Parts: sequence; C-alpha cells; structure tokens
Amino acid sequence: MMKILVTVKEVAEVEDDFEIDGLGIDEAYLEYDLNEWDDYAVEEAVQIAEAGDDVEVVSVTIGPERSEETIRMALAKGADRAIRVWDDAFESVDLLDVAAKTRLLAAVVEKEDPDLVLTGVQAADDGFGATGVSVADEVGFEWAAVVNELDLDADGGVANVRRELEGGVEELTEVDLPAVLTIQTGINEPRYASLRGIRQAQRKEIAPMSLDDLGFDASALDSPIALTGMSEPESESDATLFEGDAEETAAQLAEVLREKGVGAQ
Amino acid sequence: MATTQADSSLTGEQRAIRDVVREFAVEEIRPTARSADETETFPEEVWDGLAELDLTGLTVPEEYGGFDADRTTYSIVNEEVAYGQLAVATALSVHCLATECIAAFGTDEQKERWLPDMAHGRPVGMFALSEPQAGSNPAQMETTAIRDGDEYVVNGDKQWITNGQRGEVCILFAKTDPDDPSSVTQFLVPKDAGIEVGQKEKKLGLRASDTTGLKFDDVRIPAENRLTEEGKGLSAAFTILTGGRVGIASQAVGLAQSALDEAREYAHEREQFDKPISSIQSIRHKFADMATQVHASRLMVREAARQEDAGEDNRVSAAMAKYHASEAAVDVSNEAVQIHGGYGYVTEFDVERLYRDSKITTIYEGTSEIQKEIIARGVLDG
Ligand SMILES: Cc1cc2nc3c(=O)[nH]c(=O)nc-3n(C[C@H](O)[C@H](O)[C@H](O)COP(=O)(O)OP(=O)(O)OC[C@H]3O[C@@H](n4cnc5c(N)ncnc54)[C@H](O)[C@@H]3O)c2cc1C
Repeated sequence: MMKILVTVKEVAEVEDDFEIDGLGIDEAYLEYDLNEWDDYAVEEAVQIAEAGDDVEVVSVTIGPERSEETIRMALAKGADRAIRVWDDAFESVDLLDVAAKTRLLAAVVEKEDPDLVLTGVQAADDGFGATGVSVADEVGFEWAAVVNELDLDADGGVANVRRELEGGVEELTEVDLPAVLTIQTGINEPRYASLRGIRQAQRKEIAPMSLDDLGFDASALDSPIALTGMSEPESESDATLFEGDAEETAAQLAEVLREKGVGAQ
Repeated sequence: MATTQADSSLTGEQRAIRDVVREFAVEEIRPTARSADETETFPEEVWDGLAELDLTGLTVPEEYGGFDADRTTYSIVNEEVAYGQLAVATALSVHCLATECIAAFGTDEQKERWLPDMAHGRPVGMFALSEPQAGSNPAQMETTAIRDGDEYVVNGDKQWITNGQRGEVCILFAKTDPDDPSSVTQFLVPKDAGIEVGQKEKKLGLRASDTTGLKFDDVRIPAENRLTEEGKGLSAAFTILTGGRVGIASQAVGLAQSALDEAREYAHEREQFDKPISSIQSIRHKFADMATQVHASRLMVREAARQEDAGEDNRVSAAMAKYHASEAAVDVSNEAVQIHGGYGYVTEFDVERLYRDSKITTIYEGTSEIQKEIIARGVLDG
C-alpha cells in the first residue's frame, strides 16, 4: 500500500479591476479557486493511483470552511479523502507565514506517514513558493522542487524526476522516498471532474483538524513577518509600432530583438 | 455579480457541477464555436469531452451507467453548455430526450441494449416528431408504421431532425392507422434499419448542428422496437417535451448570459467621446434591462425545474419559462449587437453569432405562440 499526500490551497483570484482596501483587496473583487499548481499535483497523484494497485490519495488543506467546496473538487477528481486544518485562532492572523504552514503541514505528514508528498511549486495568491521544500526539511524527507516530469518506481523506493531550471535547462534526478516533490504546471493535463466524480465527492470524508489535534496552541501561528502595505505597481505601456511593408517591418523587428540581446551568443 | 437566490438555493453538488461545466464551456466549447458555425460542422471532439464529463448520460438511470440528473441539475447543465455554444447544447438535449424516452418507455432488454452505450456518448440519439406538414400540430403527421406479422413497416418523411446526420438511434413517432389521428405511437428505429438521411438544412443560426430530413421507405423494424402502446405516442411525447422545455429555456438563459457578458466587456473597453461607452446613460439602461431579463428568465427556469423535482405539475411554469427565456434571449442578444455597433454586425465578434443562434429558441420544441396557448389554457381553463 502506498500513500500520497497532496497539499492543496484555495487561492484568491483578483478581477481585472479591483481596489485595495488597507492591507488587502476588497472581498467584492475576489473569487476563490483551487490553486493552479495544486491542480497539477492532484492530477499527478490520481494518475499514480490509477496506474497502481493500492494507492491512497489524501489531500490536505489549511483553510476556512468556505474552502471545502474547493477541496471537494480535488476529491471529485479522484482523491480518496481530505483533511482540513482550521481553528478559530486563524481568524485573527493576518499573514500565515511559511514557518507556520510548515509546522502544521509537517504535523499532518507525521500523522499520515505518506510515502510521497506532492505540493504545488507555489500558491498563486501569497506566492511564497517555499512551503513544500520547507516541509520536507522539517520532517526530514528528501525533496525536489519544480518537478515537470515524474516517473515513480514505488518498489525501488525512488522517484525519477525532471526539474525545470532557469534558462531552459532541465535536470534529471533520482529522489529516494519518502519525498516531497513540488509540482510545476504542465507536468500533465489536469482532468475536468466528471459528474459522477462530483457526486461521489459529496460523500467523501473531509476530516477537520484543529491546532489542538495537531499538538499546538495559538502560538504556532505567530510570525516575525508582518504585512505592512499593499499597492498596485505603476504600469506604463511602451509599444513600438513598426510601419512599412513586411520586409521593412521584419528588419525593424530584427533590429529591436538584437538590441535586446535575443539570439546573441 | 453577487450570488443570486437562484444560485444560493443550489446544493453543493449542483454548484460544483455548474462550476465544472461552466469551465468546460469556456475553455473547450466556446473556442470551437466560430469555426463550427462558419463551416457548419459539429465539433465532435467537444462531444467526446461531454461524454468524459458524464454529460451524455445525464438523463440515463444510474443502473445503465448514467447520472440520472434531477431536473434542476439538467437545467444548470443546459444553461452552462449553451453558455459555450448553443448548437452543442441542442445536440445534447436532443440526445437526452432520446435516452429519456428509452428509459421511460423501453423494455429492460431495450434499455440494456442502448442506454449504456448512449450514456457514454455514442450512438447519438434523435427525436423525430416534426414533419414537413406537421409542426405545431404533430397529430397531423402522415408517417405510418403498419403492423406486419412480427414487424412494423414504416413509411413517411420526418423534417428538422437535430442530429440527423450524426445520430444513429431514432425515437420515431408514427401512426399505426393512417386514418386515425389518435394512433400515434412511439418507436425506436436504428438508423441502419434503412433510414435515408436528407440534405443538411442551411440555417440562419445553430449552423453547427446537423438538422436534416429523414426518409422512411418501407423500413422494417421488429415489433419489440415499439416503445409505447399503440396510440400512446403523443401523450408520451408531451410528457417528455415538458422536461425538454425546461432544457431549452435553460439554454436560452445560457445564451443570453453569454451575450450580456460579451457586451459588458466590450462596453468597458470601447471608448467614444473620450470615455468608455459603459458610462453613457442609454447604454447603462440597456444593461439594466438585459440583466433584469436574464435574471427573471433564470428564476423562472429554476422554478419550473424545482416544481418537477418536487413532483408538482409544471406544465404551465415550463411553458412560461420557455416562452419568457427564449424571447429574452432574442432581445438580449439583439441589444448586445447594438452595444457593439458595427463591430456587432461582423463575424469577428461572438455577439453576431449569438444573435443568429438565439432565434431558434423561440421556435423549436414548441413556438412561443404554442407556449402561450399552453399558458392560457392553464390560466383560463385549468
Ligand atoms: C433547427 C431546428 C431543429 C429542430 N429539431 C427538431 C427535432 O430534433 N425533432 C423534431 O421533431 N422537430 C424539430 N424541429 C421542429 C420544430 O419543433 C418545429 O419547427 C416547430 O415545432 C414549429 O413547427 P413548424 O415549423 O411546422 O411551424 P408551424 O407549426 O407551421 O407554425 C408556423 C407559425 O404558426 C404559428 N402557429 C401554429 N399553430 C398555432 C396555433 N395553434 N396558435 C398560434 N400560433 C400557431 C406558429 O407559432 C408559427 O409562428 C426543429 C426545428 C428547427 C428549425
């Protein structure tokens, strides 16, 4: 039996036109959805489960009750059950930092004892991009970040992964299990939940877990980081219009690209 | 926009279905719409996608591999698929009519033979009631199915059959006695029993949907392919069509919503007199009217669906919903074109197609005039 834990997060998406209100964005401009990277992580786990004999996929989220609708989507796509970590104490926290998330998720990992933990590379809203690796460090698992291809050898206890590095370089690595892999978009093609999947998901378990359940008190959420301001960067548009026939405009474009260093050796 | 009553009364399952089908409509269905319309070809890959989502088994009982949706869920799915492309929603709803007929009237053997495959998307179903000389009054039909030993022999012409080319399973209405208008009976006729498919109609809108005539020339079918008792065909058709009307009304809502959304985006972007046209009062009033119409239509549709789910008689409310929502779809898409100005008159913008597509919703599965007839009967004679 193999167990895969997938961390998922409900992220806030901002409408095109929005207003900042103090340290946040007014609720009226927000919509909530499953974090894009996590969608790929869920799909990867479900594909492993479908290819294997006895694989359990458990998804875990830290989020308020509202996030159950989002986490049910992961269940509808094929996760077997879910855990939702929440507590009244979260209501008074402005910023849940990586250290706090790490503490909570590491405690869940220790309880569940999975062979593999899949996380998204980053969350689309707060964008720390560190939680997966930080959890690996805390629980002493091997890890690989920004994985865009995964070939799991469960019997051999190894995950063969391809990682995307800067500048188009790709790296092949073997990671011993248990491991945490942070999943990059494009690793697979996430499915749409089927109607039957959605119906089954209504009956699957979403187990609540409080700070107490995980052996913490409210101080586990304390953070040395404080949110001090939020603003929209000034944007300027800088469009160059090329005029002339195809040959002339192509020459002008080539000139610009050369200036910017494209194609330089 | 804020959540409405219509949405907050949905169950978690219904909301999740709405979200997924909406996403599928925007990501997978809508992008095929323009070329499907232009080339008059049905986007088959989209159909396969619908099947993967279990939508082709929407009205198939669970024991035959379907989803057995309640009418509210059926309505939501129709609305969202039509938000992507009306031609796809129409094809799906006709396929659903066919599976509903088999589920409601077929023998166990027939259900076993057809429903599991149809739930998985193919064979595609057809619903053949209309004829060249019998539209609003189907009792006037001329197609006959005459008993001959263990078989029925079918002769006649059906007209305006959705999925006429791509369909393989035909739910056929025919008289068993040419001289008795009350002998209309429902049959299941596989296309390969010898149905001849006519030319595809050239249409104003809904051009991606294959609407054809079907010709029956001494087509022989085994007697067990009769779905209803002789003479029970029309009342069976009307029961199934009441549910169908909720579906068409829902499609009209989806189409109107997409026209409204396109117009809103355009009105924010388009500037005249140094300001977005969305700040001009007469344009703003159009939006107020359009949004009110869409909202009212949706509430009427959901109420008609709720009544059916609660086991109440919804014949009048379904007719009201179909009448109101389809006329609103024509009005709203008309205004969406107007808001686009000249750009709304060219194929480059989706509202041009939405306007052409909208008109069919006031015609098929009972014209607006026929809906009013049903409503008036309920009000005055009920
Ligand atoms: C694209 C398309 C797809 C279709 N798909 C199918 C399908 O899959 N299966 C199928 O069986 N049919 C289908 N139809 C047929 C459709 O349901 C009929 O066109 C419709 O019922 C109207 O019939 P008709 O065209 O014969 O018009 P008519 O019945 O001749 O009506 C002409 C006009 O007279 C009015 N009228 C008629 N009787 C009355 C009355 N008693 N009171 C007031 N006004 C009246 C009508 O409202 C209309 O305005 C389709 C049609 C189209 C265009």
